[in-house]
Amino acid sequence: MELSAIIEAISSWAASEPRIYALIIGLIGAAVISGVINIVAMYVVWLERKVLGDIQARYGPNRVGSRWGILQLVADAIKLFTKEDSIPRDADKPIYVWAPIVASMTTMLVAAALPFGAVNIGGKEYPLVVANMDLSALYVEAALSVMTISVFMAGFSSNNKYSLMGAFRGMARMIAYEVPMGVCVISVAIMAHSLNLVEIVQSQTLWYAFAQPLGFIVFTVALITDLGRIPFDQSEAEEEIIAGYTTEYGGIRWGLLYFQEYICMFLGSIMLVLLFLGGWNGPNIPFLTPIAPMIWFFMKVLIVLVFLIWTRGSLLRYRIDQVTDLGWKWMLPLSIVNLAWAVVVGLYFA
Amino acid sequence: MTSEPLPVDYYIPLIMFLIMGAIVPIAALAAVKIISPLKPNSRKLSTYEGGLVPIRDARIQFNVQYYLFAIVFVIFDVEVLFLYPWIYVYASEFMQRYMVFGIMNIAVFEMLMFIAVLLIGLAYAIKKEALRWV
Repeated sequence: MELSAIIEAISSWAASEPRIYALIIGLIGAAVISGVINIVAMYVVWLERKVLGDIQARYGPNRVGSRWGILQLVADAIKLFTKEDSIPRDADKPIYVWAPIVASMTTMLVAAALPFGAVNIGGKEYPLVVANMDLSALYVEAALSVMTISVFMAGFSSNNKYSLMGAFRGMARMIAYEVPMGVCVISVAIMAHSLNLVEIVQSQTLWYAFAQPLGFIVFTVALITDLGRIPFDQSEAEEEIIAGYTTEYGGIRWGLLYFQEYICMFLGSIMLVLLFLGGWNGPNIPFLTPIAPMIWFFMKVLIVLVFLIWTRGSLLRYRIDQVTDLGWKWMLPLSIVNLAWAVVVGLYFA
Repeated sequence: MTSEPLPVDYYIPLIMFLIMGAIVPIAALAAVKIISPLKPNSRKLSTYEGGLVPIRDARIQFNVQYYLFAIVFVIFDVEVLFLYPWIYVYASEFMQRYMVFGIMNIAVFEMLMFIAVLLIGLAYAIKKEALRWV
């Protein structure tokens, strides 16, 4: 039996029994994607240390696991697992304990609706997505911003002045950039006539980064702020407020919070690639036709990740008032200009 | 047996993802509880404040300016919520039947008015320095 015939049979069965199919795909997807994003996040951390090392003309990790240091993160994980697990006396214990868990649940909720590329079998593209809902762009954007709640939980429950300051800054930053980000997603949806991420990718014969460059710039800036990366990492600015909202966290609890940030960075890059950089669309690669979309997709994600690391290596941190000013006085009006552009193109040139 | 999946079916996997997202950190915390040493003392458990004894509680009354940000945010977030259903109807044939000034249909015109009012509000908030971080 041909592979494409098997997949056809499975998808026709899935259409007849959607609820059982959803249960099975949910179970398998939760296990597989949880493993994949954790391992990928480990190598995002490794990539960041290596690229930052190159930017600063030093080696980066080069001892554990060959001269490329590829097992450095395993060693770090072992260290974190064997460190003492202490909770500060003055902290709000339940909220303090739940903050990393809520962060992890949030990233998993984002991952549930994101397509992780596609495979091309028998001339037909099958996107690899668990919950292919009609409003997945709205859903992913909403779930990404829930991440700020865990930042606030961690900062507020620590009962530390630096943590609290970091939490306030994180919240102010999020609310300044949430609206421009939402308007950019809407502009993309106007051009694609859909809020489904798979349909948005399929409609991109011309990448939306070129169709609406202003929206691409605003969304990238809003994404960097949402991920809390330099130049917008005021919530954990180590030169001013020690470690921001993670000041009172240590050992594995800090490790979990730190790790969720990198998982978010990976998922955020996927979001940017899906909305603006054509997702898995790309020319066919000979001999690798079934996985050609995957190769294009992950190449684009890798480029976005290296770009995010590059900004960290070369830009300086803004003050918090500059960040909120930029969000309210520049990014919000610019995103509305981009919305008008998308409507004009959608109505008169489509 | 339905051939058309109900909207609720798309959300079933989310429950599993939510549970999986909780299991991973809880398992990690349980593993740490077993393998790592635990020797707490009073200094180790105190709050960090530059090496000194912490002065008072950290949860202070914060500036009222902070609420203004939150209120402006709520207003604009609701605006964005209105835009989401609008994108499905703005170019429909029904809307195209009613043109305003002969260049835009009624849905686009209404949204233009709506956003214009909000932008005037934003300009007012900026002019009144409500969005100035202190």
